[in-house]
Amino acid sequence: MIGRYPDYDVMDNAGNWDDATRRVVQARLEPLEPLRFFSADEEPSLRALCDVTTAQDVEPRVPVAEMVDDKLASGRLDGYRYANMPRDPDTWRLVLRGLDETASERHQAGSFAACDTQAREAIVSAFSKGELSGGAWDELDVSRAWSVCMRAVLAAFYSHPWAFNEIGYGGPAYPQGYMRLGPLSTLEPHERRGATAEDPVRVEQEGQS
Amino acid sequence: MIRGLLKGAIGPADNDSRFLLDVHRRDLPGQDTMARYRDSDEVDLCIVGAGAGGSVLAQRLARWGWRIVIIEAGPFWHPDEDWVSDEAGSHQLYWTQERVIGGEDPIEMGKNNSGRGVGGSMVHYAGYCPRFHPSDFETQTRDGVGVDWPISYRDLKSHYELVERELPVAGQDWPWGDPHSYPFSPHPISGPAQTLWKGAIELGIEMRVGPVGIVNGTFGNRPHCIYRGFCLQGCKVNAKASPYVTHLPDAIAHGVEVRADSMAVRVEIDQSSGRASGVTYVRESDGVPRQQRARMVALAGYSIETPRLLLNSTSPRFPAGLGNGEDQVGRYVMVQGAAQTAGRYPDELRMYKGPPPEVSSEQFYETDESRGFARGFSIQTVSPQPIGWAEHVLADGHWGRALREYMRDYNHWATIGVLNELLPRAENRVTLADDTDPYGMPVARFDYTHGANDKANMEYSTKVITDILKASGAQDILTIHRYAHLVGGARMGASPENSVVDADHRVWEVPNLYISDGSVCPTQGSANPALTIMALASRLAQRLAAAGSNTPK
Repeated sequence: MIGRYPDYDVMDNAGNWDDATRRVVQARLEPLEPLRFFSADEEPSLRALCDVTTAQDVEPRVPVAEMVDDKLASGRLDGYRYANMPRDPDTWRLVLRGLDETASERHQAGSFAACDTQAREAIVSAFSKGELSGGAWDELDVSRAWSVCMRAVLAAFYSHPWAFNEIGYGGPAYPQGYMRLGPLSTLEPHERRGATAEDPVRVEQEGQS
Repeated sequence: MIRGLLKGAIGPADNDSRFLLDVHRRDLPGQDTMARYRDSDEVDLCIVGAGAGGSVLAQRLARWGWRIVIIEAGPFWHPDEDWVSDEAGSHQLYWTQERVIGGEDPIEMGKNNSGRGVGGSMVHYAGYCPRFHPSDFETQTRDGVGVDWPISYRDLKSHYELVERELPVAGQDWPWGDPHSYPFSPHPISGPAQTLWKGAIELGIEMRVGPVGIVNGTFGNRPHCIYRGFCLQGCKVNAKASPYVTHLPDAIAHGVEVRADSMAVRVEIDQSSGRASGVTYVRESDGVPRQQRARMVALAGYSIETPRLLLNSTSPRFPAGLGNGEDQVGRYVMVQGAAQTAGRYPDELRMYKGPPPEVSSEQFYETDESRGFARGFSIQTVSPQPIGWAEHVLADGHWGRALREYMRDYNHWATIGVLNELLPRAENRVTLADDTDPYGMPVARFDYTHGANDKANMEYSTKVITDILKASGAQDILTIHRYAHLVGGARMGASPENSVVDADHRVWEVPNLYISDGSVCPTQGSANPALTIMALASRLAQRLAAAGSNTPK
């Protein structure tokens, strides 16, 4: 599934960005710091959850786990908490505990991280539909917990330049701006046309990859 | 006719903001030299909140010689450094302090609808600037729903025109509501908006370019929009209107102090006279409570923070908080339904280019009994950046491999949204939660539940935009249900039994306390609220300045 924009690197245009933006985006490519919020016990299941939800199974990975950890450790929360839910940092800990409990109960695994891909995906599928209960899950509204976790995971993954490259996103454009707005398929000098134009809905429905 | 010929050439009198800005820097000019008042100085007016309502009020009255301090919880921005062309990097623009959301249909806050810092939420609004329709001010009389305002469209019309010149608003001649034209010409539109518009034309749905508060041409020292697409992340160009560029430069030049990083925690009341005597606030740097004395106080903290501050300002004379003797504070908070539907097309459209707001329609704004519900909705093109787009894909039920597959197809999608007029309900309310913030002030809790009319409206409108996508040739469609904007919570009315402020924004129970933000709106129409909040503040300023007994000194 990689390779739709094979020659495209959004960072090739970074010389045309303003300094403040370049610093913020470039920092996402810097070497990683150890986790600060999640404990060593929680780390494997955190990484497994981030991997499964973003379909990452080989290095190099977009460091979603580190980015989520940094958000929680520095208290950059989203500005609201559901009345029937704990605060987001506590929600994350409960979710990781719940994933481990479900892994042991349904798949006789030592932890969520110890499950094979198929079992992990089955558990996450149930999580996404709010169909988990017992133990830690009973302290959460499971559907809302899914949205709390995925909000953070998606904000991390799709802020990374590698993700920008994968989707052919033109990226920051100040002070340069975008001059070629349409009508159709009009490219800026730094943008690249997709090598294919497969419809993902068809791909998903027909089980191709 | 003459106005048409002179489009873009006539600026507003009595507001020099556009000339005070620097062509080469984005800072708000005058921060270093602005007036500084002591806490013990009794200023003429202390305003809480440097957003749309507070900034316009300050700018107007400063020109009448009033000595004014604005207390603002968030930072004094330096956009060249603080704002970035990046979604995740813009987190600090939003009000992300804790709030509790409840009810059957809890409303997500934060980046969705809440700003923090000098300039307020308009720093990160998309830029749509429609007026309310005349019908919005009398929905009870016309449609038997909502409530009539104590003022009419006619009371606001001249202020709409004035604020449209100050922002300035660009768009095609507007056929809906009270038909009017705009001071600046419509912007060119991008491929996705053209594609969506074609679908609307197929169905006989009228759309128009704009109205957006984005410079088309140049406006004083504010440059032309560069179509970089990051309106929701703060405009680094100074092309998009927000009080930061439209009113605060002139306000500061006329002696207003904007006291940033200062969280207002109470409005103080002189217990013998029952009048407001000032505002207690806490500076983020030292956490020490201070009290700014003032002859008059105006709250402009928006629909969550204004009710929170009123409710927290208890005293022996007002044990239930200010303006709350009839249990009205915090009630009738409204949001707009803001479902968005996206279509997939064979060609690359690249919706990240160009401002997210481009083309809109108010054809469905008023009641049409054949639709089976009261009031209506508007239709507006939008264009999410990647993280926003990922939330659309997730809402359609995709994660993992399927999510990545949909996401890498980003460039083939175009998005259109609605704004539904959801009706005011007394139980949709801001109250104080048990949790407290770092200053010990209880955080706000916002409960929200739809009514049957709301559900029928949202269902119908989602079908209309889905039909537009189909007619435009979309191969596949996905929909996200969401909400946008806030108004109400301290509404204006004709009597204290069912409102918090009178037609002049004065809190019924406290003669020198005013509210100058969206919380005074009794209904919301299906228009984005920014322009109306500014127009209301402009009218309030005119009333205060004209009231002889209130003339300072």
